[in-house]
Formats: sequence, structure tokens, C-alpha cells
Amino acid sequence: MAPAQIGSGAVLFSTKMPQVPKRGFGVTTETSNPTSVLPRQRRSMKTPRSVLIADKVADGVIRVGGLAVILAVFGIMVFLAQVVVPLFTGGHLEGQTKVALQAGGHKTLTDFIDEYRTISVAVDDAGAVSAFHIKTGRAITVPSFDFGGQTATAFARTLAGGYVGFGFGDGTLRLGRMLLVVNIIESNSAPAGLQKLGATDDLTDGNAIYTSISATQYRRTLVKLELGEPQQITPGGEAIMALDYRVGGTAERPARSFITIDANGVGRITLAETKKNFMTNKETITLTTSELPGLKPGVVVSGVLMTEKADQVYIAEKSGTVYRYDTRNFDKPELAEAIDLAPGAVDINVLGFLIGEQSIVVGGSDGSVNIYYRLPRESATSTDGFTLVKAKTLEPHTAAVIAMDAGQRGKSFITADADGNVWARHLTSEQVLLRLKPGDAKPTYQTLALAPRQNAALAISADGTVYAWDFEVPHPETTLKTIFGKVWYEGYPEPTYTWQSSAGTDAFEPKLSLIPLIFGTIKATVYSLLFAIPIALGAAIFTSEFVHPKIRAVVKPTMELMASLPSVVLGFIAALVLAPIVETWIAAVMMAFFIIPLGLFLGAYLWQLLPYQFQLKYDGLPKFVAMVVTLLLCGVVAYVAGPSLEVIFFAGDFKAWTNGSIGSGTPFTALVLLPIVFIAVWVITGRISSARLSNLLRSKDRFGAGLADLGRWGITLVIAALISTAIAAALTFLGLDVRGGVVDTYVQRNTLVVAFAMGFAVIPIIYTIAEDALNTVPEHLRAASLGCGATPWQTATSVILPAAMSGVFAGIMVGMGRAVGETMIVVMAAGNTPLIEWNIFSGLRALSANIAVELPEAVRDSTLYRMLFLAALTLFVMTFVVNTLAELVRQKFRKRTAAL
Amino acid sequence: MSAHVNMQTATPDKSIPLSQPTTRATDIRARGEPFTWALGGALALGCAMIIGFLVMVFWNGLVTFVPKPVIAVTTTDNQVTAGEPTRTELYKPQSADLAALSPQIQKSISDSDGFASRTMFRVGNYDLYNEDFRWVSEFQVTKTEAPKDILFAEREEWGPLIATLKNITVDGQTIETADIHDPRFAAAHQTSRDRRKRIREIEKDDIGKINFQLDELRIDVRKAELRSGRDSTDHAVAQTTLKEKTPQLEAQYKALAEEAGKLRELNSRNSAMFVDITGREKSVALDLIVRVYKPNDMSFFESVGVYFSRWWEFVSSEPREANTEGGILPAIFGTAAMTLMMVIAVAPFGVITALYLREYAKQGKLVAFVRISVNNLAGVPSIVYGVFGLGFFAYVLGGSIDQLFYPERLPNPTFGTGGLLWASLTLALLTVPVVIVATEEALSAVPRSMREGSLACGASKWQTIKYIVLPRALPGIMTGVILAMARGAGEVAPLMLVGVVKLAPELPVDGFFPFVHLERSFMHLGFHIFDVGFQSRNSEAGKPMVFVTTMLLIGLIFAMNVTAITVRNRLKRKFKGSQF
Repeated sequence: MAPAQIGSGAVLFSTKMPQVPKRGFGVTTETSNPTSVLPRQRRSMKTPRSVLIADKVADGVIRVGGLAVILAVFGIMVFLAQVVVPLFTGGHLEGQTKVALQAGGHKTLTDFIDEYRTISVAVDDAGAVSAFHIKTGRAITVPSFDFGGQTATAFARTLAGGYVGFGFGDGTLRLGRMLLVVNIIESNSAPAGLQKLGATDDLTDGNAIYTSISATQYRRTLVKLELGEPQQITPGGEAIMALDYRVGGTAERPARSFITIDANGVGRITLAETKKNFMTNKETITLTTSELPGLKPGVVVSGVLMTEKADQVYIAEKSGTVYRYDTRNFDKPELAEAIDLAPGAVDINVLGFLIGEQSIVVGGSDGSVNIYYRLPRESATSTDGFTLVKAKTLEPHTAAVIAMDAGQRGKSFITADADGNVWARHLTSEQVLLRLKPGDAKPTYQTLALAPRQNAALAISADGTVYAWDFEVPHPETTLKTIFGKVWYEGYPEPTYTWQSSAGTDAFEPKLSLIPLIFGTIKATVYSLLFAIPIALGAAIFTSEFVHPKIRAVVKPTMELMASLPSVVLGFIAALVLAPIVETWIAAVMMAFFIIPLGLFLGAYLWQLLPYQFQLKYDGLPKFVAMVVTLLLCGVVAYVAGPSLEVIFFAGDFKAWTNGSIGSGTPFTALVLLPIVFIAVWVITGRISSARLSNLLRSKDRFGAGLADLGRWGITLVIAALISTAIAAALTFLGLDVRGGVVDTYVQRNTLVVAFAMGFAVIPIIYTIAEDALNTVPEHLRAASLGCGATPWQTATSVILPAAMSGVFAGIMVGMGRAVGETMIVVMAAGNTPLIEWNIFSGLRALSANIAVELPEAVRDSTLYRMLFLAALTLFVMTFVVNTLAELVRQKFRKRTAAL
Repeated sequence: MSAHVNMQTATPDKSIPLSQPTTRATDIRARGEPFTWALGGALALGCAMIIGFLVMVFWNGLVTFVPKPVIAVTTTDNQVTAGEPTRTELYKPQSADLAALSPQIQKSISDSDGFASRTMFRVGNYDLYNEDFRWVSEFQVTKTEAPKDILFAEREEWGPLIATLKNITVDGQTIETADIHDPRFAAAHQTSRDRRKRIREIEKDDIGKINFQLDELRIDVRKAELRSGRDSTDHAVAQTTLKEKTPQLEAQYKALAEEAGKLRELNSRNSAMFVDITGREKSVALDLIVRVYKPNDMSFFESVGVYFSRWWEFVSSEPREANTEGGILPAIFGTAAMTLMMVIAVAPFGVITALYLREYAKQGKLVAFVRISVNNLAGVPSIVYGVFGLGFFAYVLGGSIDQLFYPERLPNPTFGTGGLLWASLTLALLTVPVVIVATEEALSAVPRSMREGSLACGASKWQTIKYIVLPRALPGIMTGVILAMARGAGEVAPLMLVGVVKLAPELPVDGFFPFVHLERSFMHLGFHIFDVGFQSRNSEAGKPMVFVTTMLLIGLIFAMNVTAITVRNRLKRKFKGSQF
């Protein structure tokens, strides 16, 4: 509106507005304003600037603020998704370098990298050690092993700890250690004259690398070597061709053990005991050796493996047979089985453990990479009942696999093929994380190394060229398949859905399947709704259609009061008060589910027998009180008769009965079948003799009709009981038992308790929405129905309920949304065991509870952290979909009611 | 309900041949009496659930602080157990235990379907017995008595002591008295308690202040280093200040520590020797005794006194014994502070959004969609908001704030972890749909004619909203805000992720600049329930406390709900007459 066109009254109004609030919120009229009647006062015709500015500012603030809040609310979903996405994006290459070492014509035995990807160290078979700075290729001076002119014929290194063993052509063996020592030093204690290495933060004095980590501190990385005296292993001086070495036991008393294969194909397992003389401080090593039976003479071995406890030994013959030895009895090793893992013309080129020594990686000359687990199997033909089972077939290389190295912090590993491709893989997710290429060349690698943090790979080719790759794969263990599909975890007999997010050691394989958690959520929701829906809907229909508005005015807020109970309180009561009571009185509780409906029906039939005048007179509150009394009486009956009924139905001990250890399932099966059979019999008899029954009931006076109705009910009940007992007996005879599925082993914090506690949260929601829906059905429909002669019951079921159906449905959906997201009740009362079973007497672990329990401990941006965000996103989506559906249904319902 | 009184004509049933004379009576089945009873039973069950629940919580909560008698029972194996009988229940003895009983008892048990009765005694004296509770089966009891001279002493540690007094030692002098009403006992006890209070003051307030100042100085040094480098004058100045002031502060600290030590030394000379029911002696320093009374020999007024003094302690002091004893003042404070902060955040934003949706945005498909979404956000699980609060508020926002404003404290997070501010904002986000929906409803209830009238008089849009629409919508808005408060105060799950802790040593408000510490973690009534009920050493010992806390929380929430309804009704009445 243009200011010039505003009349004086309007201007007056607007200029005076700021004073209005002092007199209250009332609408001001001009007459109430004494100044307006004074004609002498002249006012500007213009709207004051302040009003315009205030209007503009308010407009801006409200628009921006409103939009911002709406955006923020949607931002939640976007944020959650953004945290989750990295779980599914793979890794990326950060850098690639190629360095030529001085080629001495010797074979490289091994190479490895330190924690921080600073230095790479390689050893050749003459004992020469070469080390260089990975990013720049700058060599640093390191000592070498002194083999006394000999050439190593076999080599082994432990995954952690840097223990190495060298076997020689004369049948001797030397143990040693190769370490990359990292320590933090103050910058003023660093040697002078450090040279900067390229564009990095690293400096060197030629012997070690110094990395600047703060203004005052350096991290120094240097190489340290130890080598022991030669030990004769083969009695005849045969050359050692293959070797594996493990250090177990404690740091003070290490148990060193190794496996050797000599040139004649004889395998030996040796235990080395180190004794220290305290006087001379000299170590003496005593060796005990046993020969491994069953190896063919002259066998060509491509891999030897031993566990840290030295209780299992695997020897892979080049042609494909793996010999598995049970060496628990050290003096008498046993050949447990010999199994051909590479059938046909395929050779085994690579045999290796992953960390934890549960998975064996077998790389074939055809490029195949397979994972084997040692599992107990009924069909096993081995001596110890275990056998090697091929658990996973990974994506094969295009050329023969020639090398592998396992990660030290997880289940990642790398494999290399004859064409020079290096693939980073992960056991759990079975995916190829990265395909690293050496460039244009097709080098033949001699050794392969994966950095301890699984973020760099390094390969040395026969010509002395070093290929190094830096990469980052933050979440190698998760793919859609590992989260939502079955995964065959280490040590498990078969693929499963499992959630077990953490354990103490690096060797633990995290099991991150959301399925058990989603199942837990669904289980809690289903059982809660089974309990809540009948009560909530029954109460809603009764409140809306059968009680006086005065009672309704009391009852409805009482029920709604339930909604404001904090869920932590419900959880506390459920877990610490209810669960022990239910556990003690479980038989009575189970019986109450049957006794209460029966009691109410009986009460109704007896009520029908009362004089009609009496029924009419006391139709309102007294009848409701009678119902309450009946309900309480039923409770008392269940409590008193509980133990006796336990004897009849549960063989006297409910918990033992649920285990299936005592008693028969027949009585309880009959009880469960009773309602279904009853309804069937009721409907069938009603259909068959509809007219006769109707006539019979009408021909009598009210008391007689009531009696006849009661009789019909009683007879039907007896017939139904007989039929259901017969069916139950037949089912038991056929071997079907009610136990083992929905009814199984009892634990204290179980789904029954959760369902009951959740009832407090869900019932009021469904009740309120359903009652509102029933109540908003236009009054004229009700009046018309009653006017046509329908009873209130007929009106309620045939007119009101169908009209309000979508509103009722929306109430159920919203209640379901609440049950899905409920946290504290399930955290406290559900026991938090991630099981996948429908047993109502066992616990569960819901998505929400899992988040509440695990997120406070999860490290930011770790896989678990992101998995829990995924759980939250799943919950968000689940409830959002359910609630939106409910809302759409409700809106449709509103339109329909408006049209009526 | 009188609609069917005169209903005598039945709906014609097709299966009845017309020639047959139909009776005028209604088929009794049409009334659906049994089904009506099933529906009524459902309503009765619902009401019984809520009423039973409330009665149980309030009953347990109210009787917790009543001083209970201490009963001494002698069992068949000549063991004497003295304690407060906590509860009695029926149980099924193990068959192995049953076999060892006399045939008479076995018969009586099998007569009652294999159930036997047992009572749980709170025996106290944890330092002597290593247990707080003991079950005594009814059939074992040979003698029951209520010794008059037995005492119930609540202590600062090891739970209650149930014993008789032998003598007391005051300043190293042993005084033979077995009476707690002895003025010498009372005086010595009071002195010890006062000293303890003073020690606590010294350690918490005075020494805390010195530590705070030292920390500030160190942070200043680091700040200077970050701002202008290690070699700058700033840094040098800060270093010198630190060096200069440290000895002075340390001297102050020493003096205070000495004073505390002296008081402690004095307190260690005041003790009381107790003898438990089995004759074992236990000496307890007097300052550790919070309260002592004779449970079996006290007047009604003494009982009432103990009852109210326990209540006062509960609402006015800090917890002790791993939260299972003492008070819950920090939790009450934390809940109140968080709820208040939440309202400060949620009310303006909720109202602004509703105003935008109702008064400013063009009513179209988009706004309808937004409205559905906002409505449904009220149904998104609270834990999801907690996850968002942790990930976004604490880590992303808080992390950035730390980088920008508190680099000198890194790597220790200041705002980069859960705290009061983030918890309030998370709950604000959680409850904003409640306020939006309520405000929108209130706004839409303001008649269009009023708006038009105002605009026609020449008022601007904002003036119309400010003076006409908002005042009339205020009842609805208030209701929404109070309901949001009630919802927020009862939520626990999201708080577990964004800053609630089982024990917060420092309140979010204290005497140190800037006085209100929004980054601090806090205690919360709801979480207190979870913590004491589930994570304490002995959940049975904490149970009474949990009941009282529960009662308090439910009471608080109900009070808020009732206020919401009352406010709505009152304001509604106020505006009833003034509508056009």
C-alpha cells in the first residue's frame, strides 16, 4: 500500500500502535484513544519509517528463519547420509613412486614399511640390507646381516614383532630380528646438519629419518638388526628349502618355533628354548626337533605355515596338495589331512595366513585367490575332525598369483600377479579395494609388502626396481553385501547375519550386519503392537461409542497421561520391577491372556441374565465398574490358579517346559488353538442354524434369550476345547510342537516384558488418534443408524468404524513409528542380545538401543561410527516412511469425513 | 446410551420365511454385549495399567524415606541377621536345598505348590559383610525381635551401618556412652560434620579457584604462543606472568592444603565404636556419619523429622556412594538448565517457522508437503536426533568453534564434545515440530476477519501479526512450548550421546568467568534413573533412590502438562469475549 493513499485514520492508527500493548492485548478502536478526538492535532500523512523498517525486518527474519528451520530439519537426513556415504565409497590412490635400487644380482627376500610410511627396508639373500625414504627414494645407510659369505636359501618373518629366520644351504638356520624403531625426540637433541628431503617434512642425517611432528619434537625412524648364531637343523647338512617361524608365549619367555623343509623333502618342526645365564648374561639355545610324517621324498614346497601356538602346520606342495599337521603333541606330530586345494594342472603359488591365523589365503597359478577356514565338519575324514573349507572365492587375477602380504591391523591383504598388478583386498567384504598398477612395465616381483596401517604397498622386482603406492581405504570391511547380506566370518561354520562390532584385539574380524538389529526392531515392534493394538482400539471404540461424555472427559485424559511417561521410567520399571515379577509368575501371566477374555465374555453373558430394567438403569458407569471388577477378578483368578494351571499346561515348571526338556506341548497347543477353533465353530454353527437360532432367541423373553445365548457360548466353548485338544494331540503325534519357535527358552529380560512396557508408550498414541477419528465421524451418521433401529454395537461396527477406518489405521501407523524408534525401554528391558529368532521369551537388540549403547564409545569417523549413523539413517527412513503414510491416509480420511 | 431402549423392531432377516410370525423382540445378539464387554475390558485394562503404574511409582517413592524398623532374626543355623525388611516374596526353593530340610517344612512347602516365602533384609555394614542385602527364608527363622538399642547410621561411604553404639572417642578421649542423644555425642558429631564441610569448601571452592587461576595463566601462555609465536614479546610476557604468579598461588595452595590437613587430623580423633548384632566391632569416624537414629525406639515426630531431613538432603545435596545415596541437586539443576536453554532455542524458531508457514508462505503443494514433513518429524525417533546432535553439533560445529576460538586448549575439546549447549540444541530440534504444529494450529484458529480488519485499518503485516494475531495465538503457542518442555525433560536417549554424564563434578553455573559454562557436561534426572538402576554396583541398593527420582521426574512432567492445559484454558477464557 502506498503511504500517500492512506487515510488519516489509518495513519493515526499505525502511529499509535506502539502504545497499545501497555493497555493490554485488546483490539484498540479509535474511540478508546483520547487523542484521536482532538481535531487540532495534525499528523503526517506518511507511514513512519520505523513501521516500514520493522515490517521489512520482520518479513525478512520470518522468511529466512522459517526457511532455515525447515532446511535444518531436512538437513538432518542429508547430514546423516553424508556421514554414511564413505562406507560405500572405495579407497583412492594418494601417490605412486618408483625407485631403482642398486641391483647386486641377489634375490630380495623380504621388504617392509614402518607405521608412518617413512622408510622401506629390504633384505637380499646375501644379507645385505637396503633402506630408503619412500617418498623421495633417498637411500639411507643401514647395517647389514653378516651371513659369513653364505647365501640364504629360505626365509621367514613373523607378521608382527619383526622376527626373522634365515635357512642356509648347509642345513643351518639363523634367527634374528629386523626392526624399524620409531621414537619421539626433542628437536634440540637431534643431530646437527639434518638435510631436508625433497618437499616433505622429513629430514635425514644419512642413518635415520627425522620427521617434524611439532615445533619442538621429531619422530625418528631408524633400522635395527639382530642376528643369532647358526643352528644346525638338518643332520646330514641338507639345504633348507622352506621355512616358517613363529614367536609365541610371553615377552619374558618367548616360545620360538619353526618349520623347515630340507632339500630331500623332509619336514621338521623345531622348538627353540632360550635360556639366559644370569652370571655371564649369555644366551644358550636348546633345540628340540620332530620330523613331520607323510611328506613325499623330493617334494617341491611352495609354502609353509605354522600357527603361533605351534599346534597347526600347513605345507603346500607346489602341485596343489596341502598337508595339514596336528602338532598339538609336539613329540608326535600327526598328519591330519592331505587335501588337494588346486585341482587339475593348477599349482599353488602362494600360501599365507591373515592376521589371527584363522584364514588361509591360497593363490594359484591360474590367478585364483581363495580363502580357506579350518572348520569342524561331520563329514571330515581327517584325524582331528576338522577340515579345510573353501569359504570364499575372491576375484581372480588375470595372471598367476606370485605373492601376498597380510595387514597387521585388520583383514586387508594384497596379492600380486605375474603381470605386475597388485590388488588390495579385504577378507570380510571380499572386494578388491584397489587395483595398483606398476605403470607401463610388467615387472616380476620378488617381494611384496603391505604397510602396518594398510595404507601403502611396496613391491620389489627382480631387476631391483621398487614400486611403492600410498593409498587410503578408510572402510575396507563394509559393502552393501556385508551390511545387509550373509557373510561367512572367520571361525563360523557357515555364512550368517551377525552383529558383533568390537573386541580387544586387532585380529578380531568386526561383524557389522544390520540385519539382526533391524530384525530386533521389527520383533519388538510386532510384539508390542500385538499387545497394544487390541487394547488401544478396544478402549478407543468403547470410549467413543459406549460411554457417557462425562466419563469420557475423565477417561481420555487419563489414558493420554500415559503418553507423557518418560520412556526411561518405563524401561526402569519394566526391567527392575516387572521382569522379576513376570519371571516368578510367568505361568499366571500366560494364563491371564486366556482367562481375561474368557472372564469378560462370561461377565457379559451373566449381565444379559440380569433384569432388563436393571441393565438399562446401570448401563453407564456401573457397567464399566462391573467390567473393571471382572478384569481384576480375572487377574486374581490367574494369580491364584497360576500354579495349578502351570501343572496342567506346563508340566509344573514353565521354564523347563519352554526349554523342551519336560512335559508335552499338547495342552498349551490346544490352548493356543482354542480361540481360532472357537471362532470357526461359532461362525459355522451360526451359519448353519442362523434362522433357527434367531427364532429361538427371539421367541424367549429376555432372561430366556440370555440363558440360551450363554448356553450356546458355553457349548461352543466346550466343543471348541475338545476339537482343539484333538488337533493338538494330532500335531504332537506328527512331531509338531508349539515350542521351538515363538515359545522357546526363557530369559528374564525378554520380548514379553518389552512388549508390555512398550504398551505404555504405544497404547495412548493409537488410542488418542483412533478415538479422535471415531469421534469426528459426523453425528448425523450415528443418529441415522440408531434411528433405523440399529443397536449401538451395530452402529459402531457397521457405520462408525468403517467411516473412521483410515483414521484408525493412521493411529496404528503412528503407534508403530513410536515403537520402532523407542530406545530406553529396549535398552533397559530387552537384554540387548542380537539374535534372529521369534521367541517371545528371549531378548533382542534393536537399532535404537544399539546406537545408544555403542555410539558413546565409537571413535569419530571410524567404521563403527559410520555404521551407527547408518543405523540411525535406517531408523529415520523407516519412521519417516511410516509416518508419512499415516499422514497421507489421515488427510484422505479428513477429506472423506468432510464430504460426509 | 438410551438410544436402543425402544428398539423393538429387528432388521428383517431374509432367511426367515415371511409366513412365520416374527417376534417383536430384538435378537439378543444384535446388542453385542460380549463384544462390548471385551472393548470395555480393554479400556479398563488401559486405565488399570496407568493407574497401577502411577500408584506403584508414587507409593514406592513416598515410602522410601520413611525410617523403617530394624528386625533381628535368628535362623535355624543360629545366625543372627539384623536389617530393614525390604520386601517379601514367594519363591521356589531349589530341589537340592529342599532335600536338606526337615520333612515338616518340606510338606508345608509342597502344600503351597512348591512356593516358600522369603524376606530380603537390608543388613547394611557393607564393609563388614561385603553384601548389602540378605535373603532369609521364612522357614529358617526361629526367633524374631526388634532390639530397642540398635542404631541405623547413614554414612558417607560403605552404605548404612546397623549396629549398637559402644563408646565414642572425642579428641582422643574415650567416653563410655551408648546413647546417641547424649549431648557429648551430639556436640562431637556436629563439630566433626562442620569441619568436614569446611574441608570440602577448602578443597572445592578455594583450591578450585587457585587451580582455575593457574590454568588460566598456562592457557594465556599457550594463547600467546599460538598468536605471536614462541619468540614474541607476548609470549615472553605471558611466561613471566606465569612464573611470577605461580609461587604466590602455590603458597596459597599450600596454606589451604595445610588447613585442610589440620582439620582432617582433628577429625580423625573423633570416632565412634559400634558393635554389630553378631558382636563385631567397627570404629567409624564421626564426620562420616550423616545421620543416626534408633529405628525401633523413636517417637512419631522423630520419624517425621528423619523423613523430612532425608527429603531435604535429597533435593539439596550432591550424590554420594556412586549416586545410590545422598541427593540429586546437580541432576535437578542440570535438567532445569537444559530444559530452559532448550525453550530459549525452540520457542522463537518454532514460532517463526509457524508464522512463515501460516502467514508468509504461499499456500500450495510445497507448503503442504513441508507441513506433512514437519508433522512427521515429531515421530522421528529421539535417538536419531541424538546421533545428529553428536555428529553435527558436537563434532562439526563444536570442532570448528574449538579450532577458531579455543586453539590453545586443543587437543582437549572445549565445545567439540557433548555438553549443555549441544544437548539443549539437540532437544530443541527434537521438540521444534511440537511447537510448530501447536503454533500453526493456534494461528489458524485466529479468525481471518481480525486480520482483515487490522489490515483494513492500515496496519502493516508485521503490525497485524504483532498486535492482532500473536496475542490471540499465545495460548496455543504457550501450550506448545510447555508440551515441548515436558517432552524434552523426559527424553534421555539423545542426551546419552550429547553430553549427559553420571557424575558432573562442576555445575554449568559457577563463580568463575564467564559464569555460565555451556560447554560442560551435566547430570540429568532421567539419565540418573538409568545410571543408578542399571550401572551401579548394586542396583538393589539404588532402587529406592531410583523410585524417588522417578517420582520427581514424573511429577515434574505432569506438572508441566497440567500447567500447559491450565494456561491454555485460562488464556482461552480471557480471549473468549474479545473475538469479532
